[in-house]
Amino acid sequence: MKKAFAALLLALALAGGPSVPAWAHKVVAGAYASGDHIEGEIGFSDGSMARNAVVEVLAEDGTRLGAVKTGEDGSFTFTPTQRIVHIFHSDLGGGHIANIRMEVADLPALMAAAPSAGSAAPATAAAEAPAVASSGAVTDAQKVALADAVANEMKPLRKEIIALREKNDMQSILGGIGYILGLFGIGFYVAGWYRFRKA
Amino acid sequence: MHIVDGALSTPVIVAGSALAVAGIGLGLRQLPMEKMPAAAVLSGTFFVASLVHVPIGPSSVHLILNGLAGLVLGWAAFPALFVALLLQAVFFGFGGLTVLGVNTVDIALPAVLVGYLCRPGIIRSSPQVAAIWGAIGGALAIALTTVCVGIALAFSGEEFIAAAKLVFFAHTPIMAIEAAVTAAAVYLARRVKPELFAAVVGGGSVVP
Repeated sequence: MKKAFAALLLALALAGGPSVPAWAHKVVAGAYASGDHIEGEIGFSDGSMARNAVVEVLAEDGTRLGAVKTGEDGSFTFTPTQRIVHIFHSDLGGGHIANIRMEVADLPALMAAAPSAGSAAPATAAAEAPAVASSGAVTDAQKVALADAVANEMKPLRKEIIALREKNDMQSILGGIGYILGLFGIGFYVAGWYRFRKA
Repeated sequence: MHIVDGALSTPVIVAGSALAVAGIGLGLRQLPMEKMPAAAVLSGTFFVASLVHVPIGPSSVHLILNGLAGLVLGWAAFPALFVALLLQAVFFGFGGLTVLGVNTVDIALPAVLVGYLCRPGIIRSSPQVAAIWGAIGGALAIALTTVCVGIALAFSGEEFIAAAKLVFFAHTPIMAIEAAVTAAAVYLARRVKPELFAAVVGGGSVVP
């Protein structure tokens, strides 16, 4: 009987082992400006990434701005055209949902077009731009290169922050156990009080 | 296993919460003082078990151990697992507060069913056979939980077969591991403290 049981266990493990698609507690996702586009990453708290998942890009009121797909490493890029709040939404199945909200202030500083500011603003900006360039300040190309360099420097930092956020330290584990024991202690007290009153 | 905030539709959340409240109420009525320390320990076990990752292939799974809670506690598994899920949501961000009711039902209801199905076998038979009942209970609880999660997702618009399949197959390794762990726990308890399972049925004095 023991052998049969062991065989059953092995069979179950083999049947499920390689086919595990996405099993983790939590979805870990983030998006940030990089150059003139938005870069994002979707994965799971166990370190695996969401491969080839469809990410819908929505405005705050629910209108669809577009859709992108994550690559093999769970990353995606989106080039925004409007200065509005962007919401990246991805349903990864099995109750896993990634929702990333990007505020206007976090949007890329260098956007291809910024029509939401009205037609007057771009016109004045265009008029000023050549003047700035000719006076020896940074050109647009330099700005892009600078933004790229900063984004590259920031990448490991962002990853570390996400990893830190997902870390469960001993304090919260012990704290949780303490809470459980405390709550049941209160229950024990109440039950004892009832019994004492009855007696 | 933990469904997250925003994955379910409102009717599912409301229905799940109502069921959870009913289950917790029933469970509290069947939780005499004598059983409370066991409930606290199993609640703590469930709370910590989800942090124990078992690497399998490219991914990793974590223990759930709701079957063991159901075998020992019966309906009292509802309040015990609810408390642990609440603290997991607050401390670790597993699941979420709005879906707490649904998660409680998804995990505690299979535990109760397993308690009804497998506990008689554990009480009556020898420790060796009891361990097999424990293994069945441990695996069955996970299987039923995946079905419950599938149902909750299906009512929220996901296609049931696809959703249930995904959750079920992702959990086959954990079923095997839970079967082994629950069997070991039941075997030990039957050897060392056989009244752990019997006391639940006998009840002794029932405290409101």
